Amino acid sequence: MTSNRPSLPTPGSTGSDLSSSTSSNNSDNNQIPNLHSLQNSSSQLSIKSNSWRASVNFGSKGVSVADSEGFSISRREINEDDARLVYVNDPLKTNETFEFCGNSIRTGKYSVFTFLPRNLFEQFHRVAYMYFLIIAILNQLPQLAVFGRGASILPLASVLFVTAVKDAYEDWRRHKADKIENNRLSSVLVNDQFQHKRSKDIQVGEIVKVSADETIPCDIVVLCTSDPTGVAYVQTINLDGESNLKTRYAKQETLSRVPGKDVISGLIKCEKPNRNIYGFQANMEVDGKRVSLGPSNIILRGCVIKNTDWAVGVAVYAGRETKAMLNNSGAPSKRSRLETHMNREIILLSFFLVTLCIIVSACAGFWLRRHQDELDIMPFYRRKDYSKEQVENYNYYGLGMEIFFSFLMSVIVFQIMIPISLYISMELVRVGQAYFMIRDDKMFDAASNTRFQCRALNINEDLGQIKYVFSDKTGTLTENKMEFQFASISGVDYSGEKIEFYGEQGGYNIQVDGQVWRPKMKVQVDSKLLKLSKTRNDTKSSKEIYDFFLALAACNTIVPIVVNTSNPNEKLIDYQGESPDEQALVYAAAAYGFMLIERTSGHIVIDIQGERQRFNVLGMHEFDSDRKRMSVILGYPDSTVKVFVKGADTTMFKVIDESLNLSVVKSTENHLHSYSSIGLRTLVVGMRALSIAEFDTWQTSYEIASTALMGRAGLLRKVAVNIENNLSLLGASAIEDRLQKGVPEAIESLRKAGIKVWVLTGDKQETAISIGYSSKLLTSKMMQIIINNNSKMSCKKSLEDALVTSRKLINVTRASEDDASSVALIIDGTSLVYILDSELEEQLFELASKCAVVLCCRVAPLQKAGIVALIKNRTDDMTLAIGDGANDVSMIQMADVGVGISGQEGRQAVMASDFAMGQFRFLVPLMLVHGHWNYQRMAYMILYNFYRNALFVFILFWYVLYTGFTLTTSITEWSSVLYSVIYTAIPTIVVGILDKDLSRKSLMTYPQLYGSGQRKESYNAKLFWVTMVDTLWQSVVVFFIPLLAFWESDIDSSSLGDLWTLAVVFIVNIHLAMDVIRWTWISHASIWGSIIATCICVIIIDAIPALPGYWAIFNLASSGLFWICLLGILIASMIPRFIVKMFMQHCKPCDRQIAREAEKFQNAMEITRNGEIEMNLPHR
Amino acid sequence: MSNPPPPMSSTPAEPQDPSSPRRNSKRPKYSRFTQQELPACKPILTPRWVISVFLLVTIVFVPIGLASLFASRDVVEIVNRYDDQCAPSGSRSDKVRFIQSAADKTCNRTLTVPKHMKQPIYVYYQLDNFYQNHRRYVKSRSDQQLRNKNDENETNTCKPEDTTENGTTIVPCGLVAWSMFNDTFSFSTNKNVQLPITKKGISWKSDRDHKFGKDVFPKNFQNGKLIGGAHLNESIPLSAQEDLIVWMRTAALPTFRKLYGKIEVDLQAGDTINVIMQNNYNTYSFNGKKKLVLSTASWLGGKNNFIGIAYLAVGGLCFVLAMIFTIIYLVKPRRLGDPTYLSWNRSPGGH
Repeated sequence: MTSNRPSLPTPGSTGSDLSSSTSSNNSDNNQIPNLHSLQNSSSQLSIKSNSWRASVNFGSKGVSVADSEGFSISRREINEDDARLVYVNDPLKTNETFEFCGNSIRTGKYSVFTFLPRNLFEQFHRVAYMYFLIIAILNQLPQLAVFGRGASILPLASVLFVTAVKDAYEDWRRHKADKIENNRLSSVLVNDQFQHKRSKDIQVGEIVKVSADETIPCDIVVLCTSDPTGVAYVQTINLDGESNLKTRYAKQETLSRVPGKDVISGLIKCEKPNRNIYGFQANMEVDGKRVSLGPSNIILRGCVIKNTDWAVGVAVYAGRETKAMLNNSGAPSKRSRLETHMNREIILLSFFLVTLCIIVSACAGFWLRRHQDELDIMPFYRRKDYSKEQVENYNYYGLGMEIFFSFLMSVIVFQIMIPISLYISMELVRVGQAYFMIRDDKMFDAASNTRFQCRALNINEDLGQIKYVFSDKTGTLTENKMEFQFASISGVDYSGEKIEFYGEQGGYNIQVDGQVWRPKMKVQVDSKLLKLSKTRNDTKSSKEIYDFFLALAACNTIVPIVVNTSNPNEKLIDYQGESPDEQALVYAAAAYGFMLIERTSGHIVIDIQGERQRFNVLGMHEFDSDRKRMSVILGYPDSTVKVFVKGADTTMFKVIDESLNLSVVKSTENHLHSYSSIGLRTLVVGMRALSIAEFDTWQTSYEIASTALMGRAGLLRKVAVNIENNLSLLGASAIEDRLQKGVPEAIESLRKAGIKVWVLTGDKQETAISIGYSSKLLTSKMMQIIINNNSKMSCKKSLEDALVTSRKLINVTRASEDDASSVALIIDGTSLVYILDSELEEQLFELASKCAVVLCCRVAPLQKAGIVALIKNRTDDMTLAIGDGANDVSMIQMADVGVGISGQEGRQAVMASDFAMGQFRFLVPLMLVHGHWNYQRMAYMILYNFYRNALFVFILFWYVLYTGFTLTTSITEWSSVLYSVIYTAIPTIVVGILDKDLSRKSLMTYPQLYGSGQRKESYNAKLFWVTMVDTLWQSVVVFFIPLLAFWESDIDSSSLGDLWTLAVVFIVNIHLAMDVIRWTWISHASIWGSIIATCICVIIIDAIPALPGYWAIFNLASSGLFWICLLGILIASMIPRFIVKMFMQHCKPCDRQIAREAEKFQNAMEITRNGEIEMNLPHR
Repeated sequence: MSNPPPPMSSTPAEPQDPSSPRRNSKRPKYSRFTQQELPACKPILTPRWVISVFLLVTIVFVPIGLASLFASRDVVEIVNRYDDQCAPSGSRSDKVRFIQSAADKTCNRTLTVPKHMKQPIYVYYQLDNFYQNHRRYVKSRSDQQLRNKNDENETNTCKPEDTTENGTTIVPCGLVAWSMFNDTFSFSTNKNVQLPITKKGISWKSDRDHKFGKDVFPKNFQNGKLIGGAHLNESIPLSAQEDLIVWMRTAALPTFRKLYGKIEVDLQAGDTINVIMQNNYNTYSFNGKKKLVLSTASWLGGKNNFIGIAYLAVGGLCFVLAMIFTIIYLVKPRRLGDPTYLSWNRSPGGH
């Protein structure tokens, strides 16, 4: 199949986004917006992608749906109601009926006045903030006022403030960028003269002139360009990141009228603004003629004009209605597995919270009942208020209400049982982790100069738990840099010796005006074929060779661009095009002396063996994924007309007239088979001469179809199918797509890490298998099960057979304890059509889960998603999909983690992905190193936060039992507020970002260590309960040691509260310190700094005379018992933990533990062997 | 402390791409920080370390525990519960009626000194079942008012004891001050020698200097229908009312002691002390107990064996653990970092 890979219903129209994208603010803040957009993304819902997913089914039906009208906006016809009418060069009339928006853009969200309300509104969309708010509001009720006003609002206010400042800063930058963008000058036709106008004043309907290297200010329909044929080249790098030039055409009807000289007027009817940057549909009425307009006639805002002196167009979409702006939204967000599990535990914690509250309120109720009669004058209750004339109850609303109030009050006091701040810390930690992933120079691709990109910020830790990797082949495993290798021309295979053309005369070149023009890329050529192609005689074979190369040079959408070199007498021809296969073919044709040197919308010029020939391009049927071929109708100089078709072999052999030369067809098929079995991509080329009658019929129907208003795409396809038949076979080409660097090693590592790698490709089975071998995915020891069926019944049968075989084989291997031989499943798309979405899925799943490797070939984009869904819906295992092209978008969005390769095939995959990188092999550091770290860090951080908050709550709870169940806290309210804000917040974040359980080296050497994440070793229900038991023990120690030590003494509550505060903060931080594995200066600073900060805060709080606890800490610190208690608490609370940890470390060491020890003692061991240094030398 | 090896120059020479010299490379700038290679120490608890830690804890804890126990043993403490004895026997309501009546509440008690008591001897009163940490109670005070004459009217936190019936403010306001303890004690030896009690300096100096105003005088105090406890001399500023200051430092726990005064003479073993007390304070209404405590002090404070026992227990436990771990390490040694223990090396092919 060719490089024009089936283009998916572009998710550009659904869920994609253009990360940081409009032209202006892209350049200056490349790194920061990445992070920022990431931060925000968590709050956005993935409605778009979900709704898209929901509408898809993956079997045969799905495919047809995908290709039919329903999906792609560009194919839909314009309804009168949905149309936008643009009067060319008449902005007044255009804007008279409908108020189209002006061209000023506002990416800034807020203005000075709306900032506060809008920002607050947006922030309170988060559950965490709502929880804080509700608690704060409850606390404001006088009956419930547990904390003072200030203390209760502080945590919420501080979080809101920090976020607001961050938002304001970002918005200010956006405003600044907007201002620059809006005030940029562009040239607009006013009163038949081009005048400079600010970009923001451009209106729909106005005519805009853009010069070379200028950025387009709004979406314009091209009317004419400096090129007489009306071609304009644009670079869309700001829009979709593709750096190659694309061609845009002015319509024949308008290209001769240069605005300013000729009067131009007309009416454009186009679709409503939408976000599909690859589609546009409109028609234009000029001089009473109706002309259809498509995506190739519009230049979008943000593109840059290249290689064209100027272009003139009429503005159709402006400002925020431009496609670039419509695409400016966040990435779809996913929720990480760990977070899902965490939420389960948070529900448990809220049960704990409710239980504690019920206990407290019930006890309070009992207490009040028992003392019912005494309450009136009880000195510490005094229900009666005697200060009024009438003695009445003071602040007492009856037993029931008192119980209810004490329930609410206990919710307020114990609120941090639910670690809401954890969500905020997690976000910060993920930003930090993303920072390190982006900055990792092991994941920087020097070749494409791309860094790692973190597009979704919610799933960093998922990278550490992946069980299945679904990989695309082309451009993902391979480089997608095509090189023409072999050709089979009319049944003769030219795959002989190669001549290197480097250095010699520098390959084929031509002379133009005394200058040497040569193709930019050099191709190895077959000497025999080269000789044959140079001899021009009328033998049949040389004619066939001529036609073959002519087809290669002509049947494509490549644009040759002449580039200057340092040598003034030498110019290079750079073939620009969207498909690397076509580029390779055109370069190959050039090397054999068929050099394409000019292409316009109407003709092409090809230099054939030094002789320049001009062919009229009468029509072109572009590639589509149904036909899997493209064709061009060429008018020869001698006015004969021929149609050239190239496409995938499966569809091509159907339209080739085999009766013409059966043996040629047969031998070509053989050649194709041998090419693809060594991993080459093949294309078949065919041709047919058209009679005048045939041509006329075609032309009329082509014209009708291409200007049709209804179902244009379908009509064009029908026209194409009608002409593409009875072809005579010219030959076949074989293109090599090299394996990317490091792919076999990467696959090996992944496999060792216990990750199953599945390859899903649109390529042929033979190609897929050969790539499988060269990438070490398949080994000769593996048993291959190939499923290749054409009906449901046969599929069922082969699945059943395969299951039996695999079971047998697995039993055998189990007996022989040899894991080298395993099963590889190879299945093709046709079989999948029958299997997916039917009851056979279950069997396929069973079979696939027994196989070490699964290769799916010839799969359609939606089938890829279907296969991912097959695993995702049936197991709890995490899936990762990696791909580079538009055809991978569906599986990238379907998988738990989607990785895009920012390579040759555009940016659609990257735009749909969660992470993007330059090379497949970066998957290894990404998952094995960063994924592992992120998972360990995040898992630990969650457990630690549960522990930290629960510990504090338990201590408060124990005290409540000694206060007549009245929710007094001896710990000052400020300390309880600052506990999770200052006292203990920073170390956990620092550790969550920086701690590494193992070095990069160990993780790369022992990929098996990755298994700890897959087995959920660092976060599971058991660990949660163990942590909670430990928490309970520690809280008992912290609370009861001082209680018993100061029992029957004259200790006041502030002093005891200070002791508890310090003790809890100390042990919480020491607990963390015990688990830190790598002590950098930052971890030292944060942990010890937090302890010091706590002491300072406690001292400051106790230095305020207006608080009841004035000077308590100083009195306390002067007593010996305080210090002894503190020391005792620290040691006693840590002992059980320490014992368990040491015991596990010694007797049941986990792999990570051993690797960690090995890391540390490896050097020491080597030294021991040489010298006399003791191995277990304490390193301190 | 092992530092990681210096960062490998793993950055290969960047391939020079002649076609794009103007594009600046986006290669992340190398720094040890961004590559997460900051120098770090990676402590690993080896068996030797574990045993040393346990032994260290033993060595530190056992002496401290012993010292605490000895200190606690040296403290001589006389505790005498008097609330039941100093009221007519009978039902609780009788006692409540008695304590609320105007009857003479003088009560004589005799204490015997069990051991030589060195001065200073601290005289405490102890209340049981008195929730001085009750939420309604602790909130019912105004620290501003206590501190500053101008903040006299800051009484809205003091309810229900903020103003008198006619609306004038009470100084000091609130339940805490209102319920101030008002039993009095005077001591004499069996030779009828008066034992002087020093009541100066029983409160915190910081409270006297900064928390209670020198210009704030009691006003309208204890004038309501319900008398909660002590009256205050309206001519003495709050900063000099040390009993009030002590009382206002609310206790942490429902059983608490508060310093009443100090006896600054030694008491000999066998001495009997006569205490004449005014049993004014009503704890009968809520089943509270009142005790009189005479105690010497050690460096650890009062008599309390808990901390000593706890320390000895922890120290002993750690010693036992050190032994257990020694045995484990001897019986089942494991070479640290031995790759043969890795799970995939232990059971080939078994994942």
